[in-house]
Amino acid sequence: MLRYAARRFLLFVPSLLGASILIFVLLRLVPGDVAEILVYQAGAESSTVQQKHVQEIRAELGLDRPIAVQYLAWLGNALRGDFGHSYLQQRPVTEIVRERFPRSLELALLTLVVAVIWAVPLGVISAVRQNTWADHLVRLVSISGLSLPIFFTGVLILWALVRFFRWLPPLEFVSFFDDPAENLKQLVFPTLAQAYYISAPIMRLTRSQMLEVVRQDYVRTARAKGLADGAVIYRHALANSLLPVVTFVGWWGGRLLGGIVIMEIIFAVPGMGTALVQAVSNRDYPTVQAIVFVMALIFLTLNLLVDLLYGWLDPRIRYA
Amino acid sequence: MPEAAERVGVATEVAEARAAARASGWLDRLRWFVASQPLGAAGALVVLVLILTALFAPALAPHGPKDAAFAPYLSPSAEFPMGTDHIGRDMLSRVIWGARLSLYVGLTAVLFGVTLGALWGVVTAYFGGVADSASQRVVDSLMALPPIVLALALMAALGQSVTNVIIALAILLVPTAARTLRSVALSIKEMPYVEAARAAGASEWRVIFRHVLPNSLSTYIVLFTVNIAYAIVVEAALAFLGLGAPPDEPSWGGMLTAGTQALETAPWMIFFPGLAISLTVFGLNLLGDSIRDLTDPRLRGGLG
Repeated sequence: MLRYAARRFLLFVPSLLGASILIFVLLRLVPGDVAEILVYQAGAESSTVQQKHVQEIRAELGLDRPIAVQYLAWLGNALRGDFGHSYLQQRPVTEIVRERFPRSLELALLTLVVAVIWAVPLGVISAVRQNTWADHLVRLVSISGLSLPIFFTGVLILWALVRFFRWLPPLEFVSFFDDPAENLKQLVFPTLAQAYYISAPIMRLTRSQMLEVVRQDYVRTARAKGLADGAVIYRHALANSLLPVVTFVGWWGGRLLGGIVIMEIIFAVPGMGTALVQAVSNRDYPTVQAIVFVMALIFLTLNLLVDLLYGWLDPRIRYA
Repeated sequence: MPEAAERVGVATEVAEARAAARASGWLDRLRWFVASQPLGAAGALVVLVLILTALFAPALAPHGPKDAAFAPYLSPSAEFPMGTDHIGRDMLSRVIWGARLSLYVGLTAVLFGVTLGALWGVVTAYFGGVADSASQRVVDSLMALPPIVLALALMAALGQSVTNVIIALAILLVPTAARTLRSVALSIKEMPYVEAARAAGASEWRVIFRHVLPNSLSTYIVLFTVNIAYAIVVEAALAFLGLGAPPDEPSWGGMLTAGTQALETAPWMIFFPGLAISLTVFGLNLLGDSIRDLTDPRLRGGLG
């Protein structure tokens, strides 16, 4: 197991570095660098004073150095937890990330927990009662969940809340540690909207896996030795069906993060996603770079954890 | 018992497939497609309507998509079946032109992205070695970024325009296509016919273009169809976040954003574009699923 974990970890580091290089180079291919954007924002004609100003900012930000040198400097600082200074918010990017990250993490975890809690049992019911009305209903719900784009579901829920309950997204975000009830009240709708979306594939996968597993010999044996239905379903069938579901959740981690960005925008949650969209529209490159880096880090960590879990659950994988 | 039932099922499938092979007229083929893939046929119908709407948008739309010539926030009526938006543009016309924008962006992005990725995957798999592992690391790096986040970063670098959305989406599609086609090409490479072609003295590139590429075509087609819906959704999502096509372009996602500013006064501004996207995605998914069923030899039953 240890060797498997080490080998898997060796793939993690180059991917993360590669992603950070990619983003770094990409954001420097912009026509007209950051210094020009900062100076010419007013849209005035370029004058010698401004050109001198551009040179000054370039030197100050180190933009006049070769790109490899700039990257190494950035990486060195990033590893020490310094992501530079936000042009937009006039404060260190690290501070923004530290403030926003827990909120997005909370939303993501809530979404995952809610989705799994409601999708796995429904998938089991749907498989155990194959081709009954319960099965058809579950499949209908999951297909509709897959076809509605997440931003449309989110906007529809927001509309229903505004229209029927006069609920508006709160202006101030309350931390869970200050006031848990208020905090959960703020996050319940984005959580439900996204959980509905990601629960659809989880449901379908649980169902198809269960259908396959209940036809296996060991399930027949368990039944033949007189185990109760519940024990057969949960101890034997479900335990063996969940493996692909676990990988799937990791696989969809990317979509989960993308969905978080959209949910935060719709329901006015001031998290990483909101910060990223703001930074992109204001061309606040240090912030874009830091948030993208942190998101890649989360995404890769999620994949790493899923792989380790998979290897731990299924010995065939770790010895392959 | 289930095995017996399965055998009967396979037998009927085989019979159906034989009947299909015999069917010569296109009408017979169509009838066979509708009978064997009813959901796929429904999806095809939706897609057909979408394509016709996109093609004939200038004739179908009563007004220009950017003409702010009417009163804002008019509710749906005989004159404006989908109402008007916040600056007085006809929503029906914008939704119709939206079909053209979605399809244009989706198709071109997938054409460039999947084709580039496919060629990349096949060529690196065929030659292997250092170039292959280096290219795999690049694919890893691209895949380390969550798709929407990568798209946002690309839009930050490129700037907002319809062409840049296409470029960003194409880049998004390259790594998955490269990885999938690489694994397909790796197994084709070991096939006896490839060995035979090489033994007969065919050049490397001839083997790639005459043997490996044609045999990975079915995977390419499946990737192509499946990703059109995906590209359309991501385009709409980017526009929804205000970072895709510029706001005056008739993008369904952008229309939704405008609608969220007036949820209570003008809910029609979210309903119609939202329904248009959902229906499009639903139709494309149904069609994509049945194309996958038809091209997957394990599901096709003895046609070969």
